[in-house]
Amino acid sequence: MDDIRATEIMAAAGARELHDNDTVIVGLGLPQVACFLAKSTHAPNLAALLEIGVINMRPKDTPVGLADSRIFYRATCWSGFLDIMGMNLHRGVVDVGFLGALELDRYGNINTTLLKDDGKVRYFNGSAGGNDVASLAKRVLVIMRHEKRKLRAAVAHITSPGFVDGKTREQLALRGGGPHRVITDKAVIGFGVETRSAKLISLHPGIGLDDVLANTGMPLEVPEDIPVTPLPSRDELRLLREEIDPQGVYLGKLS
Amino acid sequence: MADKVKSIAEVTRTIPDGAHVALGGFAIARNVIAAVHELIRQGKRNLTVSQGVAGLDTDLLVGAGAVSRLIIGGGSLDRFGLLYCVNRAREAKTLRAEDYTSLSLSFRYLAGALGLSFIPIKSLLSSEILERLEASSAADDVKHMRCPFTGEEYLLLRALVPDVSYVHVQIADREGNARIDGPRWENEEQAKAARRIVLIAEEIVSTEEIQREPERTIIPGHRVDAVVHEPFGAYPTAVFRRYDYDAEHLQLYVAHSKQGGIEDYLRTYVYGTKDHRDYLEQCGGTVCLQRLQAAPDLGY
Repeated sequence: MDDIRATEIMAAAGARELHDNDTVIVGLGLPQVACFLAKSTHAPNLAALLEIGVINMRPKDTPVGLADSRIFYRATCWSGFLDIMGMNLHRGVVDVGFLGALELDRYGNINTTLLKDDGKVRYFNGSAGGNDVASLAKRVLVIMRHEKRKLRAAVAHITSPGFVDGKTREQLALRGGGPHRVITDKAVIGFGVETRSAKLISLHPGIGLDDVLANTGMPLEVPEDIPVTPLPSRDELRLLREEIDPQGVYLGKLS
Repeated sequence: MADKVKSIAEVTRTIPDGAHVALGGFAIARNVIAAVHELIRQGKRNLTVSQGVAGLDTDLLVGAGAVSRLIIGGGSLDRFGLLYCVNRAREAKTLRAEDYTSLSLSFRYLAGALGLSFIPIKSLLSSEILERLEASSAADDVKHMRCPFTGEEYLLLRALVPDVSYVHVQIADREGNARIDGPRWENEEQAKAARRIVLIAEEIVSTEEIQREPERTIIPGHRVDAVVHEPFGAYPTAVFRRYDYDAEHLQLYVAHSKQGGIEDYLRTYVYGTKDHRDYLEQCGGTVCLQRLQAAPDLGY
């Protein structure tokens, strides 16, 4: 089992956060892989939604992005932003929203807009549906690389609010439940019920606490006993490798 | 029945400098390339551009120096890269950019399409997107309010009414009854919010054909100002069920846009070509482009 990729652990950890009958807004990449994995195992009735207006796609070729027709394949519905982001997300029926992040801080605030280097601003993709998902989904899952410069004490720009300044979602006038889990290639991070600040949930197998702390730029609450993130099961690995991403486009190459 | 088929050059001549044009593309899908190229060829200036998730169409217009104000929810060229021309113009402050989100921009168009002057929303609150809007030229387009019924806090967005919305569609008749195959992002509300709708259609069919399946009509003809027939009109971006994006051409574009300017690219592919057909010839010609043709069962 020592050839298991970190991405496979992340995908399985993501899948475990999804329940049967959940309505999920998915992003491309590992979130989509996690979603397909959940749907092929314990959550067959999960509804996967893409912001552009696609429901329950089953692509057979690998798309390069949300605008790639490959991801429209075998969907059960094509609509648009107003349907997915409006009449589902804004309506309050989206259980889980998956997001990526350029930077994330201790309160789960996400930046996807800009970075500041020595006062110079560099722009990136902006929000698209990210802020909407972060504002309105019942729980938000983030999948990102575990790097000190990405997990920061403060983000350069709050594109998508988590628990801003440690405030409750009610205080922030936001309906959605906010960030629930951050799944990285080293660990799973959650948020304290009282503090609403980042808290270590589990370390991936073979990853030491010192490694995680050395690569985390934000305060991280660490429990006495730290659980180990479960490895993907044999069945999950087979699905990931043979059916969901056989070419390793999102999971990377097998060593 | 009114025949609204026109050339893109003819339509573009009616767009004044400073107009607000809304673009119907999304990243690298169904971009209104034929329309954008002609706006650039005719040297339009000071345009306001709005778009849910901006793509190559907006990046080209900004790269050509045609845009002074941008209203977008986000944008990228998917895996091919960022909107380098847009980002560079923002960094150089030669462009006034107002950032929203996919949903908030859809809501602004929806309000416009419904004839409402504003619309309440529950996203953007407590974010720096909103803080930046409130500190910018957009401050007058966002207001806070409590619901008079429940007391809940809302953000109010001013309706967005573009002067013209360009939409690339797979099929239309000569009156402008248009079908959009596949997902439609904010096409419908954007088009219906606009004062004028210009369709760029891959294929023109008879009205009898439209009448056989009227449930597929997304934009009805009576709202449409002009229909431009332009096969491969979205090239190098993808049109579902028609053709795939051209990865090589997108890479070629990014090789220019990432390096600091697209003047050379524009000289070869836009200023150096007299119309869209000529541009397609410059890109290898329609016979060569058949390699991108979508398989009927896949749609790409």
